[in-house]
Amino acid sequence: MATLAVTVIGADRPGIVAAVTKALMDRGCNLEDTSMSILRGHFAMVLIVAAPDDLDARSLELAVVEATAPLGLQVAVRTVGDAAGSAPRAGEAWTVVVYGADHPGIVHGITSALAELGVNVVDLTTRVTGADLPVYSMVMEVTLPPELSPAEMEVRLAREAEALGVDCSLHPSEPDIL
Amino acid sequence: MPVRPVVRLPHPVLKCPAVDADDPASTAVAQLVVDLVDTMRASPACVGLAANQIGVGLRVLAVDVSGHRKARSCHGEIVLVNPVLVEAAHPELGREGCMSVPDLTGDVLRATAVVVRGLTPAGVERQVEADAFEARALLHELDHLAGLVFLDRVVSPASLFRRRVYR
Repeated sequence: MATLAVTVIGADRPGIVAAVTKALMDRGCNLEDTSMSILRGHFAMVLIVAAPDDLDARSLELAVVEATAPLGLQVAVRTVGDAAGSAPRAGEAWTVVVYGADHPGIVHGITSALAELGVNVVDLTTRVTGADLPVYSMVMEVTLPPELSPAEMEVRLAREAEALGVDCSLHPSEPDIL
Repeated sequence: MPVRPVVRLPHPVLKCPAVDADDPASTAVAQLVVDLVDTMRASPACVGLAANQIGVGLRVLAVDVSGHRKARSCHGEIVLVNPVLVEAAHPELGREGCMSVPDLTGDVLRATAVVVRGLTPAGVERQVEADAFEARALLHELDHLAGLVFLDRVVSPASLFRRRVYR
């Protein structure tokens, strides 16, 4: 099996997931990890699929475009290697929340500070709310390198948040195994 | 005193409500309790197990949150046969994983103050009032006995953001 990355985006309406996944299933693909969400009215899908060896990315892209033509979706399929096991060695998991008056540079500033510390972002969602006074909110889950203490990260993020004029808080998101 | 394998999804015993033990004082239930506790003790991070997690569809659970950093109430080793939830209040979100659902974790809303009643392995009625992490552990195991895993209760990732209308 080959590993392919499928990205799809289009104006949100019912039936997008059903149509795209039918096209993938019909070509013998198996869905692995996926993430799908509405972003400002656009339904955005990112799917990692296991595809038969004789199915190349270009053929699958054309097949999905053809099968979903009435939905007017933008589709891209690319070959990706098997990245399992390539992630950095992870320490503790933390949730970082950032919010404040919207202005360019918030995500870049915060994530640059994290990158300098070797902190890995594993999930990130942002929303802008409010027309007159736009508020930018970001919630991300990160994993710390084993040698970094949460206190060091907190100090660095507080400094960055102050420079950006936003609020930042963090809490551990380690699960309890029951 | 055998440590039994912990069954994992998609094993059907996890999705099937367990049934009350007809004879809590039977040797079969006594052996089940020993196996349940031994299996729980065999995994250092494990703070509780339900009988169906070791493949037995009877309503028996074991919990022990001793030494856990999030525990407030702590009754040590709790083993209840035919347990029932009597009271539950003050729900809070917490992130859970489960030995029967490897590699996944999720945020689950659970009561942080509970009263659970059942029988001890000796057949004596026992009522446990628990809070915080011990309450979460009891509720997680009670869910197992009802054929539910934490995935059935996980809150939507979208609920991390409560969208408000600004005017």
